[in-house]
Amino acid sequence: MPIDICTLETPNQGAQRPSAFLFEPQQLVPFSVAWSWQQHWQERLLAFSTRSVQNDHEVVQPPEAVWLLQHPSCYTLGRGASDQHLLFDPAEPPAPLHRIDRGGEVTHHMPGQLVAYPVLDLHRHQCDLHWYLRQLEQVVIDVLVQLDLEGERIEGMTGVWLDGRKLAAIGVGCRRWITQHGLALNVSGNLSGFDAVVPCGLKGKAVGRLSEWIPGLRVEDVQPLLRDALGQRFGLRWQGPGAAFSHLMIADEPRG
Amino acid sequence: MPALSSTMTEGKIVEWLKKPGDKVGRGESVLVVESDKADMDVESFNEGYLAAVLMPAGSTAPVGETIGLIVETEAEIAEAQAKGGGAGGASPAPSSEAPSSPPAAAAPAPAPAVAAPVVAPPAPVPAAAPAPVVSDGRLVASPRAKKLASQMGVNLASVRGSGPNGRIQAEDVERAAGRPVSVPRVGEGTSAAIVAGAGAPAVPTAQAGNSFGAPGETVAFNTLQAAVNRNMEASLAVPCFRVGYTITTDKLDVFYKQVKPKGVTMTALLAKAVAVTLARHPQVNAATTAAGMAYPADVNVAVAVAMEDGGLITPVLRQADRTDLYEMSRQWADLVKRSRSKQLQPEEYSTGTFTLSNLGMFGVDRFDAILPPGTGAILAVAASRPTVVAGKDGSISVKRQMQVNLTADHRVIYGADGAAFLKDLAELIETRPDSLAI
Repeated sequence: MPIDICTLETPNQGAQRPSAFLFEPQQLVPFSVAWSWQQHWQERLLAFSTRSVQNDHEVVQPPEAVWLLQHPSCYTLGRGASDQHLLFDPAEPPAPLHRIDRGGEVTHHMPGQLVAYPVLDLHRHQCDLHWYLRQLEQVVIDVLVQLDLEGERIEGMTGVWLDGRKLAAIGVGCRRWITQHGLALNVSGNLSGFDAVVPCGLKGKAVGRLSEWIPGLRVEDVQPLLRDALGQRFGLRWQGPGAAFSHLMIADEPRG
Repeated sequence: MPALSSTMTEGKIVEWLKKPGDKVGRGESVLVVESDKADMDVESFNEGYLAAVLMPAGSTAPVGETIGLIVETEAEIAEAQAKGGGAGGASPAPSSEAPSSPPAAAAPAPAPAVAAPVVAPPAPVPAAAPAPVVSDGRLVASPRAKKLASQMGVNLASVRGSGPNGRIQAEDVERAAGRPVSVPRVGEGTSAAIVAGAGAPAVPTAQAGNSFGAPGETVAFNTLQAAVNRNMEASLAVPCFRVGYTITTDKLDVFYKQVKPKGVTMTALLAKAVAVTLARHPQVNAATTAAGMAYPADVNVAVAVAMEDGGLITPVLRQADRTDLYEMSRQWADLVKRSRSKQLQPEEYSTGTFTLSNLGMFGVDRFDAILPPGTGAILAVAASRPTVVAGKDGSISVKRQMQVNLTADHRVIYGADGAAFLKDLAELIETRPDSLAI
């Protein structure tokens, strides 16, 4: 008689979520500094991916990383972005202007806006850029659910919207399926900087911030929600950065 | 234009990072493509020279369109430029020297992109045989193509038909919509499979068997052979087991005789039987990924085909569980023909979720196969032969039987899963093969 082995269970090693570094600098981080951190990490993952062997799970992959932070006021343009959406002279911007390696048009960063920069290897998730954009939107929608708000997508206008106002902007740059840049969620802060541009090249579309729906809401309240939502959506287990990465925790401060 | 998403239909060329005439290293970024709010650096799979830019920065091209030409040597630059100019970027010439879009295994060299390494996003090579989309101002498309187009939001007017007289087929629509990107992979290593239905195998005259060199020589692996080698070596990291089954084929053989005049091949019949059974056994269709067990949305049966000049390729019968047997036989004939002339698109040989290797036509009575990386299982099918069979009631009879042998990744598929799958497959083939035509 054959023995029924259908109920036999063995522990599933693959069930454990992969760990990822989480960096949450306490001070405002200049855009160029945060950008160089991401590039640095992207290089690490790239260096690994070029020599990695397909299906070789014995090799320890370098962990992915996510930054949650705020920038001082600045503007960024995607590589394919049009200058027409700048309502100021690019030679004399009202705040630092960066042309960067992501998709999308111009956007504005400022204190009170929480940005998330996941440096993920999409080979470990899904090699599909649109999927990744939709997941980033979903992360924000998940955060809003926690706040009893119902964020929505608008077909053809990537981002997360609430009552016709854009709460979160998304822009991604990829090299060999390794991501950088990500999403920016307006929590509180001063939105007047958006008046100097046509955000994301969308005319006549208003920008909003969460504190308009939930007065008094602060970035510190939203950050844990965003951290959890990112971990959930991308199946990441946060790993605190060790001493080796302490230089990535805080913005470069003048010595003294 | 590479497909960077399963839902990407076109992409914008943001920037060319190389100028015509520039040398391009393997893995070096050639251009930046934007789709929606995401950018991707697109890299060359091969070393060579960027001969021509057919679509300038700022322009938008449908997925699969030729946007630039990469050649192997400096000497070919002028030649490719002449060709590229003539084709105007709209309808690439289907010659063997046909240029491919940079990320798609650039270089005019051999074989359809199987040599491509894992890193860069593979992209469909431009459709091989451009045919008029419109005849007499009317769109000609199969009903399934029309349905798919409306489901996937593809404009039929922009689709290039590969069917008779440029008729748009379902797969043309899928190609236009950009199939999920995946790494090219190749099947099992020995030799293989397809002579089925094409009449009796040619009787060898002088030399029996295939050889690539003369006695005393050492011959370098060609691109396709090297790709197979890499995949086979990678499979050593997979904990495989094998489980076999003997299937009585008298009813299948009778049914095959009935449908053979309608163009149905044994390969199509077996693939259909496997696919229908897989649909009920999703675990056997699953594969190990870093994130866990991946269950593909479709049942795509890859079938190993030996290449005359070495190596093998695994053309894929997509959604084989849901494709009509006769349609599938036509698809298969087309795939085999085009794989021999090396005109397969990457998604036509790299999207298999399960592989079939059939050596039955050579009279082999049993063998086992090596698992192609990225999939969970492969089925080795041997010849059906008259066998003396003892019945449960003690009776003795002669029946035609064949042995099948499943090789599976034990991380996803356990012995009981494999056994249950084979039992169902046998039950289908032994008792109701005629249901495969429904």
